[in-house]
Amino acid sequence: MTPTEPLPDSRDPRTDSRADRFVRELADLKIPDPAAARAGLWLRLGGTLMAVGLALAISAYFLSHNTQNPLDQRDGLALGLGGIAATVVGAALFLRYSLTGFLRFWMARQSHDLAVLADRLLERDLNHDLTSTDAAPR
Amino acid sequence: MNALLELRAIRAAHEGITVLHGVDLSVGAGQVVALLGPNGAGKTTVLHVAAGVHPAPSGQLLFGGRDMTGADPRDLARAGVCLIPEGRGVFPNLSVRDNLLMMTFTGRSREQIEEVAFARFPVLGHRANQAAGTLSGGEQQMLALARGLATDPAVLLLDELSMGLAPLVVSRLYEQVAEIARQGVAVLVVEQFAAAVLGIADHAAVLVRGRIERQGRPDGGLRDELSALYLGSSA
Repeated sequence: MTPTEPLPDSRDPRTDSRADRFVRELADLKIPDPAAARAGLWLRLGGTLMAVGLALAISAYFLSHNTQNPLDQRDGLALGLGGIAATVVGAALFLRYSLTGFLRFWMARQSHDLAVLADRLLERDLNHDLTSTDAAPR
Repeated sequence: MNALLELRAIRAAHEGITVLHGVDLSVGAGQVVALLGPNGAGKTTVLHVAAGVHPAPSGQLLFGGRDMTGADPRDLARAGVCLIPEGRGVFPNLSVRDNLLMMTFTGRSREQIEEVAFARFPVLGHRANQAAGTLSGGEQQMLALARGLATDPAVLLLDELSMGLAPLVVSRLYEQVAEIARQGVAVLVVEQFAAAVLGIADHAAVLVRGRIERQGRPDGGLRDELSALYLGSSA
């Protein structure tokens, strides 16, 4: 077929362009693996880090307390600091991923409450308009 | 015609109860597909799966031939998948103009959005400063459609457009939907009341208890068969 020949299926060019643009835009999207469930993973990791860090800090205290060897005591100090750092990071991760879900729900609830309130106010205004007498001067 | 939206063997559940048992459906560019069925058949879930807002543990959701299962619904919406949910998703306390203004997040200017909306639905132009909650049901549905169109959709998902509206208003709305499809938009319409949408649909499917029982062109015998199946009587 030469380029000048009409296409056998002459579809609306707008049809092709929007559909093509759509497919092109989708091709650029990165799709996360739904099986990965990253939010849940980070939440569990945060909880684990928090618990392990705390246990590490407590055991490091006993490690340094039960020895008179300064080298072992310094190891205990380093381990204790590492544990505290892990607890802080774990707590931050846990809060980040647990609060996100809660805040989303809270915002949706707020939005719904506002819509209900607006409906109620509007209904009250309409009822008022229908029942009130016209006091306008004539 | 290549399918712009395709669902392959989609299964979905609500709180552990399976509501879709392997749904296969496709919608091409410029095509109107009607998904009919009784209350509780899973029609709305099909739309939610297609929009990416409801997870499908098995099956595939394809757009333009690309597997988009598990894609973020915000990404799909940004690309051009528009879901107009049941119950006229408008802000009742905002004016028509402000409702349209909310759609400027898509990057289009207020003027562009209003131009498209008021050209398609002139009545909205006459009521531009009126609170959306004071519009008639049909006008609110027009506003919901206009808001959807402001996103320049490639795939339009409509849920129970006819709910609570007079038959004449419904048929006018579906005329507009057909016009939108003619511009190349793939339209999937979920309806409980078959008569209105079958007039404009290129393809129809009947969903019963989460399974597609019948599908095909809604003409002649199939149309009668679809109606009979939907109404629960033998054809």
